[in-house]
Amino acid sequence: MMIKFFIPHRLEGEKIIMLTRRDPFIMLTRIASWVVVGILPLLFYWLLGDTLQSIFGGVTYQPILVLFTSLFYLYIWLFAFVSYVNYYLDVWIITNQRIIDMEQRGLFARIVSEQRLDKIQDITAESKGFFPTVLNYGEVYAQTAGEKERFVFKQVPEPYTIAKKLGDVVHDYKKAHLYTDNLRK
Amino acid sequence: MDVSISIFYYIYLVFVGFFLFFTFFNAYHLVRFGFLSLGNITVIIFYIVVTALILSISWGYISQIDWQQSFYVAPQFQFHNINGL
Repeated sequence: MMIKFFIPHRLEGEKIIMLTRRDPFIMLTRIASWVVVGILPLLFYWLLGDTLQSIFGGVTYQPILVLFTSLFYLYIWLFAFVSYVNYYLDVWIITNQRIIDMEQRGLFARIVSEQRLDKIQDITAESKGFFPTVLNYGEVYAQTAGEKERFVFKQVPEPYTIAKKLGDVVHDYKKAHLYTDNLRK
Repeated sequence: MDVSISIFYYIYLVFVGFFLFFTFFNAYHLVRFGFLSLGNITVIIFYIVVTALILSISWGYISQIDWQQSFYVAPQFQFHNINGL
């Protein structure tokens, strides 16, 4: 099932070992912040509705209120959706041949970078702060010898497990290629 | 000077147009670069349903407003000839 995920120029015999996104808690906090923003005008209207009507109580008051409220909630809904899209499309993939970092930056910017497993030199996992420690999410850094020196798996769940898995995959890849290289010699 | 309140309605329509444009591109990104899982399709459908709900509730209120009304934006000056000339 996972192999159906969009992978840029897939290599021959490439298999996905692991596909990870940010921890769901990150998306929940973003959605929760939009919910809070959505509640604010209701609170504002409840507290100051009568005052506003007495100040702006002309012919324009009700139409502007209706149109503004409609637009406000449409855009809050859109921004919550954008948060989901960014969460869903920020993906880190470990395959049996490379690691791929795909990040959505806004609506018209998508960054895809990749590195072959034999270029990876060092892997570090980090979980820093209260929520990351309690909920077990954090960063995984893969130091490489390529142009992009460091790959960062951002706010991923179970960073230590991912780091170990990546270490095993890199080890297996290097071992297999060392074996085939020796055979060629 | 009197200005029709329908001007707000047209501005509103422009913003709704922007909203639909961004909605389309976000849904496109999800389908183009994402994985068409049941969960992903459910999210897109849920988003469209809630959007339709917000727009239809808005239309319920908007349709009750008399858009032919106008409002006053600047005082009208009338010059009278006080000397009767």
